[in-house]
Amino acid sequence: MATVSDLPARSRGVIALIEENCTSCMLCARECPSWCIHIDSHQETDLPVGGGRPSTRNVLDRFAIDYAVCMYCSICVEVCPFDALHWAPEHEYAGAELVDLTHERDRLREWMWTVPPPDVLDEHAEPGKEVAAARKAATRRR
Amino acid sequence: MTWADQVATAYDAGLAVPVTLEEGFGPLAVDVPATHWREAVTLARDVLGCGFFDWLSAVDELDEGFRVLCHLARRPQDGVPLAHLLVRTLLPRDAPVLPSVRDVFAGAGWHERETHEMFGIDFTADGAVLALEPLLLPEEFEGHPLRKDFVLASRVARPWPGAKEPGESDATVGRARRRPRPPGVPDEGTWRP
Repeated sequence: MATVSDLPARSRGVIALIEENCTSCMLCARECPSWCIHIDSHQETDLPVGGGRPSTRNVLDRFAIDYAVCMYCSICVEVCPFDALHWAPEHEYAGAELVDLTHERDRLREWMWTVPPPDVLDEHAEPGKEVAAARKAATRRR
Repeated sequence: MTWADQVATAYDAGLAVPVTLEEGFGPLAVDVPATHWREAVTLARDVLGCGFFDWLSAVDELDEGFRVLCHLARRPQDGVPLAHLLVRTLLPRDAPVLPSVRDVFAGAGWHERETHEMFGIDFTADGAVLALEPLLLPEEFEGHPLRKDFVLASRVARPWPGAKEPGESDATVGRARRRPRPPGVPDEGTWRP
């Protein structure tokens, strides 16, 4: 029988969140065509040690995806500028109640451990953009 | 002779009014006036050999009216591969009425029922408007859901989660600034009673 680990890495099973990467920019919530992403956040002010201008940053309070409404279009994953959202192939998360399908930030964070590394590129494919960028940066430094 | 040439020749010879052909990216499309809709579909079947009726539906083109489309195909024959043809016509928005083609292609009846309930387009047979039963919607449903001015109930029932700015939550949401509007949802004043 096929298991989750047999599925390709690009499978759209569940969306995982690295909340450390999330800046609460609201882009995913605004782009979502089915209105299933709910984000609450507040602003905190940092005073730099040793003086300087205070800076504000957004702190995430709530990040929830309602899988009862989600249509698995992947727009949120595409649009996230900070790679906070990722697809994981895990798909067995049916619930007895409708509210069980709303995954809050802790549950979305747990899914992150099931995100597989991306599929190996075809041997004739051009290398990934980030690999090329890193190589260029390394040679420049040298 | 290419498929486009065949279609152009057949319509020039067989239809009393001039038609326009559009190849574009998709299947070959022929635009006919609504008055000659039945003739145009019948001609595609009898002269061009498009014996396969795929679907009939419509597009809400807003101010232009409604565009009714019918996708027909000629099956591969004599070494010529499958050929597609879209027959299209434009109806005025205030009186969208079109002669039915359910007797040209028997399967078109279902598609006309669906187009009738989704867009509010009437189909006539022998000059009389057909009383079409709803196909997918419940009996008591009001409105035509695929018209662009139809507001979805689920978009009215709850607020847009993207209205908040970064750093805001449901509890602290301010109301002084101009809020971003959800894409595709008309301004509140235009639909809220």
